[in-house]
Amino acid sequence: MAGLQTIINNASSLTIDRRKVVGLQITRNEIPRVTLTPTRQPWKMELEMPQNLTYYNNRDLLEALDTMDRVSPEIVTFSSNACLSWIFRYQGSLTQGQLNAMSVQSFVGNQLVLQTLPGIPSNRVIFEPNDLIQLGNYPYPFTSTTRVTRGVGSTVTVTTNRPNILSVNITNIGITVGNACDFYMFCPNMPTYRLIPGGVVRVNGITVNNAYIAFNDRFTLFEYVGTA
Amino acid sequence: MQNIPAVSGNKANVNTAEYVKLVIFNEYNATPAGNIVANTQYEIKFAGSTNWTSVGAPSNAIGTIFTANANGTTGTGNASNVTMLTFSSSYTSDTIGNIEYNPLGGLLAVGPQQRSLRVTSADTSIQISGIGGNNIYEILESQGKIRGSKIEITRGFFNNNVVLANAVIRFTGIVTNYSIQEDREGVEDNFTITLDASSYKTILENRIAGRKTNKSSWQFFDTLDSAMNNLNSLAGFSFDFGGDPKSKTVVPGYNGGGVPGGGGGSRSTTPGDTTPSNRK
Repeated sequence: MAGLQTIINNASSLTIDRRKVVGLQITRNEIPRVTLTPTRQPWKMELEMPQNLTYYNNRDLLEALDTMDRVSPEIVTFSSNACLSWIFRYQGSLTQGQLNAMSVQSFVGNQLVLQTLPGIPSNRVIFEPNDLIQLGNYPYPFTSTTRVTRGVGSTVTVTTNRPNILSVNITNIGITVGNACDFYMFCPNMPTYRLIPGGVVRVNGITVNNAYIAFNDRFTLFEYVGTA
Repeated sequence: MQNIPAVSGNKANVNTAEYVKLVIFNEYNATPAGNIVANTQYEIKFAGSTNWTSVGAPSNAIGTIFTANANGTTGTGNASNVTMLTFSSSYTSDTIGNIEYNPLGGLLAVGPQQRSLRVTSADTSIQISGIGGNNIYEILESQGKIRGSKIEITRGFFNNNVVLANAVIRFTGIVTNYSIQEDREGVEDNFTITLDASSYKTILENRIAGRKTNKSSWQFFDTLDSAMNNLNSLAGFSFDFGGDPKSKTVVPGYNGGGVPGGGGGSRSTTPGDTTPSNRK
């Protein structure tokens, strides 16, 4: 069983932290001054788990989490659960076929240039702010920071939330958008868990005791960008 | 979206990263051009009559670092076998002067560097944290070669699209020491390597301070320097500086002058003027 994917599928709340690393100072005459440190701006998510998972039915999950520990990343998605797929839903107006036809021309800094655009009116929206964009099969989603319309040119430029962190050649590769994007996450705090006795379960005609799993902390998922 | 401007002039936010180039020398004596080995890094020490560009060097200038693409070449030049490590605190691989820097992000910390109007002897340090055991092995396996390595720290500046736009060298010097620190707290384990570096001026000051006042030490730097040639003949002599050189120099074994070092006595023969406190 995929450990972190199961946690996502069962989480009762989700906190997203994409804040940048900044230096913030207030001058003596109280004027704010901000500097920004260029980083890979990894996705950080906090997932809160309800105490509804039973021990007997989820021992494979516990083993997966313990094996993963705080060192192994896992590719997760928000599309495999119908109750979660709305979170990163694509907001643009292109069809799946039109999205599949588009490819990357260049990606320098935070300027992503897409080519092979569909023949649609110039005012049609390709991306709304906060739309996820994944390049090829590399599970490091970027977001569009502004509304991008088709325009009249052969390419469109998307300003992304973070600069190009991929170390591979991405020219001419396709894109994936919305909740179909993958995330490459690991859990640096990997909560421990308590077993709270409660309930019984029938196993091969025998009644045995069961317990509820109570995780001692929230799951802090951190994007593993070391191999991007 | 409106970014908060700087205090005055609405200048763009300055985004920077540090770039470190470390050149580790693997041999004491330079390798003659005829003995260089393909796929090995070298730094040209003496250009001589060798055409270094024919074996992969971008130029024939002294100090050029290159990876040889052939075994041996002709000419009188020589080059040192080196290992060049390049890393940065940037978010991605960047190229400065045809050299690619490996991004370490926040795992690289560079200490402060003093910049004065005049040439300054200053020290600094760099810290690489979050490393694995293999890196510890590489440092220890080098058997101290990392001490004496040349280090160059460059500050890179990004434009508003987070693209490296400019770079300025801010420190050049020599690694004088290194330390490995291991912190264990609960189930957290962190390794840190710290490299201490001194500027070239500090190195030169140390070398001058280390010269001895004898002929061989003096001529180590300049074989024609004869300033200390007569020191042997002066050994054991005592001088009364400021006195009459003919009458007051005490030579061991002559005129009953006493033991060496006893010649610094009275300066005057005038009665009542024999104590140091009465000297004018």
